[in-house]
Amino acid sequence: MTEAAAPLLAVRGITRHFAAKGPPVRAVEDVSFDIQRGEVLGVVGESGCGKSTLGRLALRLIEPTTGTVAFDGTELTTMAPQALRRFRRHMQMVFQDPFASLNPRMTIGDALIEAVRFHDRLGKTEARDRAAALLRQVGLSAEHLDRYPRAFSGGQRQRIAIARALAPSPRFLVADEAVSALDVSIQAEVVNLLKSLQEEFGLALMFISHDLSVVEVISDRAMVLYLGRIMEIAPIDDLYSRPAHPYTVALLQAAPGGGKRGGDRLLLKGEIPSPSAPPSGCVFRTRCPFAIADCARDVPPLTTVRPGQLKACIRDDLTL
Amino acid sequence: MAKGAPLPERDSQRPVLDVRDLKTFFPTDAGTVRAVNGVSFVVREGETLAIVGESGSGKSVTGLTIMRLLGRTGAEIAGGEIWLTRGDGQRVDLARQPEAAMERLRGSEIAMIFQDPMSSLNPVFPVGDQIAEPLRLHKGLSRRAARAAAIELLELVGISDPAQRVDTFPHQLSGGMRQRIMIAIALACEPRLLIADEPTTALDVTVQAQIIALLRELQTRRRMAMIFVTHDLHLVGDVADRVAVMYASQVVEEGPVADVLSRPAHPYTRALLSCIPRQQHGQPRRRMTPIPGTMPSALATPHGCRFHPRCAFAEDRCAAALPSLESIAPQRTARCIRWREIWS
Repeated sequence: MTEAAAPLLAVRGITRHFAAKGPPVRAVEDVSFDIQRGEVLGVVGESGCGKSTLGRLALRLIEPTTGTVAFDGTELTTMAPQALRRFRRHMQMVFQDPFASLNPRMTIGDALIEAVRFHDRLGKTEARDRAAALLRQVGLSAEHLDRYPRAFSGGQRQRIAIARALAPSPRFLVADEAVSALDVSIQAEVVNLLKSLQEEFGLALMFISHDLSVVEVISDRAMVLYLGRIMEIAPIDDLYSRPAHPYTVALLQAAPGGGKRGGDRLLLKGEIPSPSAPPSGCVFRTRCPFAIADCARDVPPLTTVRPGQLKACIRDDLTL
Repeated sequence: MAKGAPLPERDSQRPVLDVRDLKTFFPTDAGTVRAVNGVSFVVREGETLAIVGESGSGKSVTGLTIMRLLGRTGAEIAGGEIWLTRGDGQRVDLARQPEAAMERLRGSEIAMIFQDPMSSLNPVFPVGDQIAEPLRLHKGLSRRAARAAAIELLELVGISDPAQRVDTFPHQLSGGMRQRIMIAIALACEPRLLIADEPTTALDVTVQAQIIALLRELQTRRRMAMIFVTHDLHLVGDVADRVAVMYASQVVEEGPVADVLSRPAHPYTRALLSCIPRQQHGQPRRRMTPIPGTMPSALATPHGCRFHPRCAFAEDRCAAALPSLESIAPQRTARCIRWREIWS
C-alpha cells in the first residue's frame, strides 16, 4: 500500500455488540481496515465470526457500538439520516438470496427503474433506458425488462440484483455470500461478472464469503475473521501460499480439496465458542493447537509479518 | 455392540448395493417429471461412491429411492432394480419390498443421514432416546442395554462426556454435534450401507473436516459401504473412492475419483471442473469458466444427449440419439459419443 493513496473506505476500531438475554453478543470487536479504490477485499470466516455484521457496519446499515467508518474522507458514523440516504448511492449491497431480494410482484424493469429514480431525477423513458443499460451491463438484455422475477433462474436473479445495486453508479459494493446459494456453474458466471465490473468501472468490493476458493479467485487482499476479530489480513497470494496465523492454516486445510487428506491436516478440535462469552486473550486459543499460557493474557495486536500481511498471534516461533 | 472391532478382511469386491436402470418419476399437473431416469451403479463393501451433481440433477432422489423414502414426495419407482446384499448374504430387491419389509431393513441394513440434522431429530426427546430407538426396535435391546449402547455410540462419534450428553435435547447442541448424533443413530445397528445426503453442507469448513474424518474412520473400521451425495466436487476428492457424475436425471460418467477428477471423459464433468476455482498457488489466477445455458427442466429434456445444447464438443449427431453409458476402461464409464477425443 502506498502512503499517497487515501483509502476509499477507512474503518477504525469498529465494534458492535448486540443486546441479548445475559451478556451481549460481541459480533464485531475492534476491527480496523482500509479498502482502496477499485480493490477487492475478501472477508472470510465461519458462521458467527461477524463477517455479515461487518459488511453492514461498513455501509452503516447498522450502527456501531463504537468505532468509525469513513468513505472517501467523509465520516459516515456521524452523518444525519437524510444525508446518509443520499450518500448511499456510492455504496451498495448484494445479498445471498436473490429469491428473497426481488419483489415477486414487480417486473424487473419496474424494480430497476425504482432504483434508478431513487437517486436520480430521470424521466420515465430515460429511466427505462438506464434500466435496459443496467441489464446489458450484467449480461441480460432489454427484452427482460417486462418479465417477473419468477421467469428467471437463480443465476439470472443474482445478475438482476447486481444490476439494481449498480443503478446509482456506486463506487463500493458489499457482496454478502452473493454466490453461496448458486450452483457451481452459475457461481462462476456471477464471480466473473463481479470481477469484470470491478475492472471496468473501478468498483471497490468487499466480498464476504465462507468459501475460501471463491475468495481466492476474486480478491486482491483478504481478511480472516474469528469470533468478531481479525486473525490475519494479507494480500491474497501471501494469505494462501504462506498464511501466518494458525487459524488461517486450519481453515485452508479444512477446505475440501485443500490438498491434504486424513491425518496430515491440522484438524481443529471443537467448535466456535459463543460470541457472548469469548475466551480471554486470543479468542482462538481454545481451539489452537499451538496455544500457550501467555495466549490467555492479552488480546494479541495485529503485527506485520511482511509488507501488507498482518497477523494477530503472539507466537512468532511457529513454522506453519 | 456399538464399538465394532475391525472385521476380518473379506472380498472387497463384494457388492453391497447393485442399482440397475433405476427410474423414479413424479406425476405433476404439467407432466411426468423423470427425476431419475435409468441410473445404474454398484457400491462395494468398504467403498464410498460419491454421487455428484448440480441442483435438479436427480442425485438426492436417487438416495431417497434406494431408502424407499419417496412417500410424501408423490414419486414412484417406474422401473429398475435395487439389489441389496444383506448381512446374512441374501440379496433383496429394495424396489420390490413391501413397506413392512423396508421398515425392518431401514436402520438395520441401510441407513441415511441428511443435510439438516435439526429437522431430522425429534426436538422433544433426549438424544439418547433417539439413538436407543433403533437398537430397541431392530435388536430388541432392553431399555437399560440400549441406553448403555447409546452412550458407547456417542463416544464413538466423538462426543465428550457421553454419559451426560445422552440426556441432552437437540436444541442444546451445535450443528456439528447434531450431525454427530445423526451419525450415531444411523450407525447404531451397524448398517451395511450408509447413504449420506449432503451431510456437511450446512456446516462450517472446520466442522465439515471433522465430520468427514469421522465418517471415513467409522467406515474403514466397519467396512461399511457409503453413498455420499454432494454438489461439491472438491469434497468428492476428500471423501470418496469412486464418483458418479449426474446430469439431468442420468449418470454421465463414473469411475475412480482421482481418475475422473484428473482426466474426465465426459464434457459435463470437464465443464464442471473448470467452473470450480482450484487452488493453484503461485500461478496467475484464472477466470472460472461457467457452463453456458442452464440445466434443462426435467419436463423438457433435450433430445439426444441431454448435455448437447450446452456442450462445447457437441456435433449434429449428438442431438440424434441418447448416448449409452459406455465402458471406456476398466472401472470407467462415460455417456458421450466423443469420449475418445475428450479423454485423450
